[in-house]
Amino acid sequence: MSAATATPQTARATTARSGPTFGRVVAAEWTKLVSLRSPWWTAAVTVAVAGVITYLSAQASSGDPGFQPVGSLSTGLALAQIGPLVLGVLVGAGEFRTGASRTTFTLVPRRWPVLVAQVLAMAAFALVTAVLATAASVLGILPAAASRGIAVDLTSGDTPGLVLGMVLFLVVLALLGLALGALLRRTVPALVTALLVVLILPIVLMTAGDPLVGGADPPSIGLPDADPATTVLGTLAVLSPGGAAQLMTTSASAGPMPGSPDLGPVGGGLVLAAWVLVVLVAAAVRLRARDVR
Amino acid sequence: MTTVAPAARAAQRAPRGAPARTGPTPGRVLVAEWTKLTSVRAHAWLALGTVVATAGTAYGLGLFVRPDDGRSGSWVVTSGFVLAQLGLLVLGALVGTSDHTTGTARTTFAAVPRRLPVLGAQVAVTAVAALVTAVLALGASYLATAAARAGDAPALDLAVPGASRALLGFVLASVAVALLGLALGALLRRPADALVTGMVLAVVGDQLLAANPGRVTDTIRALLPSSGARLTQDDAALAVLDAATRGPQLGVWGGGVVVGAWVLVVLGAAAYRLRRHDVR
Amino acid sequence: MIEVEALTKRYGSTTAVDGLTFTARPGTVTGFLGPNGAGKSTTMRVVVGLERPTSGTARVAGRRYADLPAPLHAVGVMLDARSVHPGRTAYKHLLAMAQTHGIGRARVREVIAQTGLEPAAHRRAGAFSLGMGQRLGIAGALLGDPATLILDEPVNGLDPDGVLWVRRLVRDLAAEGRTVLLSSHLMHELALCADRVVIIGRGRLLADASVQEVVDRSERAGTVRVRTTDPEPLARELLAAGAQVTPQEGGTLHVRGVSVDEVGTAARRCGATVLELGTESGSLEEAYLQLTGDAVEYRTADAAGGAR
Repeated sequence: MSAATATPQTARATTARSGPTFGRVVAAEWTKLVSLRSPWWTAAVTVAVAGVITYLSAQASSGDPGFQPVGSLSTGLALAQIGPLVLGVLVGAGEFRTGASRTTFTLVPRRWPVLVAQVLAMAAFALVTAVLATAASVLGILPAAASRGIAVDLTSGDTPGLVLGMVLFLVVLALLGLALGALLRRTVPALVTALLVVLILPIVLMTAGDPLVGGADPPSIGLPDADPATTVLGTLAVLSPGGAAQLMTTSASAGPMPGSPDLGPVGGGLVLAAWVLVVLVAAAVRLRARDVR
Repeated sequence: MTTVAPAARAAQRAPRGAPARTGPTPGRVLVAEWTKLTSVRAHAWLALGTVVATAGTAYGLGLFVRPDDGRSGSWVVTSGFVLAQLGLLVLGALVGTSDHTTGTARTTFAAVPRRLPVLGAQVAVTAVAALVTAVLALGASYLATAAARAGDAPALDLAVPGASRALLGFVLASVAVALLGLALGALLRRPADALVTGMVLAVVGDQLLAANPGRVTDTIRALLPSSGARLTQDDAALAVLDAATRGPQLGVWGGGVVVGAWVLVVLGAAAYRLRRHDVR
Repeated sequence: MIEVEALTKRYGSTTAVDGLTFTARPGTVTGFLGPNGAGKSTTMRVVVGLERPTSGTARVAGRRYADLPAPLHAVGVMLDARSVHPGRTAYKHLLAMAQTHGIGRARVREVIAQTGLEPAAHRRAGAFSLGMGQRLGIAGALLGDPATLILDEPVNGLDPDGVLWVRRLVRDLAAEGRTVLLSSHLMHELALCADRVVIIGRGRLLADASVQEVVDRSERAGTVRVRTTDPEPLARELLAAGAQVTPQEGGTLHVRGVSVDEVGTAARRCGATVLELGTESGSLEEAYLQLTGDAVEYRTADAAGGAR
């Protein structure tokens, strides 16, 4: 088996001896992503949760006098957002956790193309998931709308922007998770950080801004300011990744949260994208400068 | 049979090991689990990080409390609970899953084949670690908010009905969240799964449902483990919460009962899985 | 003493172990052999109670593992060298194991010294080399001074010194009357240190015999090799005596069915000059490859041809 097979092998190798081009790395990362079971499970759960929670929420508020079905459209994403976030963390940290990174980075010694390819593959996968989750959310509000005889029109007013914002919201959160995973390289710390900045931080800031959440006595609260000035807390809230992300799922005409500068969904998206970029650059720097175990 | 000669040697063998060679007792398993918990540096860092994050949050929130907020001094001290419960959830989940993720389960359950004493010991050591962490976090929060309480924020007055209970409740609710994390970890055996589930049950679910107040959602909210956070509220705050809800009124200790029941149920499920299922 | 009886373990539709029966006796090193995926590790895991059998039983010291009053004293187990939290030091890992059975720190230090881990005892196990991890695993198995040891691939990743050490260790343990069940892919190693071998393939028992018996089963075993100046008359003479003769190159004959003495006598009868005469001995490796030839789950096309 030595002499006989050695000759054809050398012949085969001489035909194409080019190394890892960027396209090949992207193809490899895509294969790695879709060949795991967890992305498919996470995507399925994300879509299902988006649809079901939106449906339940729309049903619950369909009795309100001023019920607007489109107002309930993004309610399911409050829970469904965890899906892409976790998926991103698992993919970003997964290579390092399992030791697969040793294989990957011996194949692509320049390393950073792998990170970029992971971002592209994850964005594509998350985009499909996000479109399906948004479609599920739309389906979720239809029964409540029908029960009130309200037609759902996705093409008028702020709604196309809202739908687009919902899709991008899920995609960018997946990338934030990926970036944190790639930076921290370990699942638990990355996951805790992601959950902290996206879910906990807004709650903390909201608690600070809203005495009622802290359980204050209503009569002792001063009347709400008629002119909500921009406060430090409000500014911090919309500049935090979680707060900025939430802006993306609001209508452009919704106006700012109390005490916050009016960034609107586009501004929120830009703030979140800036966060993702910062973390990705940090991950890339770590990838270049530090050893891979 | 080539075994004849060695078998004869075996018969002559003098008994080895001088003292009594007894097996795993609950006390010994407890000591072993304590060693396992304290010998991983990440656990200590996590506890320290939890204390710092909790006190830091309380300090930060204390800066924004104004006298006319209607908030109590105990709220100012316990306001870092959101961060404390995240840290303790992670601690519990790590203790519950690390045997399974690192393969230590093979040595652990080969040494203690009955398995349940291990889970029991993990509950005990996690409770102790969470208790210590929560007390330190509370103390640190108290010190961190001293300046705020001296300024605009209300002073901590233990004469306020329920104020001292709220401080005790902070510790109790923290321990409960850690045990919930442990139980979820032991049940799901993967840290990411346990953390996400724990976060949804203990924090996110409540926030989500709060956006849609109603009889059904308020009832579900009351029955989620996040009700445990009620333990950190004084009487006045609890009265406000009970007045606002359209679901069941949990009163003073109801939230603690709910989270305690969750811990027991999930621990039961984890014990069942541990007994019935293979260990990898 | 390890008694496995009619043991079957299924995962869904795949059967990992299929009606396996064998016994590992005290004072004996029992080698446990089989191709990848043959069910060796599954069997070992069932024996130590990590997995429950679909049917059949596995007993250690006459009891189900889970019923042992002091499992660590009864059975020392090393299933996978990576069964350690990477953030924990070797010493603390062993200490936590020891504490479950009230074993003192002195014994922990003793096994650390015995396995040559002293320099690394207070380093985190995550930074260990494969060989160090292996020594830590063996240290854990020795901790309870058990009468039975189950070692899965103990020499994996060890340097030559380490391999020699493990060989002497298991021989000594068996000489003290302990039961040692040892799996390995290194045939030469097993031939050197095992008394008996249990060979399985696709979850079924292929052989359970002493190493010598298994070696004797290999095709080459017992063949007389004779090199002579006159192969043809000698071959005729031997065929007449009822032997099977296979002519080789350079005047060499491979003869089966007669003893080496008879070949010598036959050469004298026909006047052939014998240049070389001897018995071929089989090897464990050959016997193993013949036995498992049909039972290999994964194999390369080349190796399949070579094994035949």
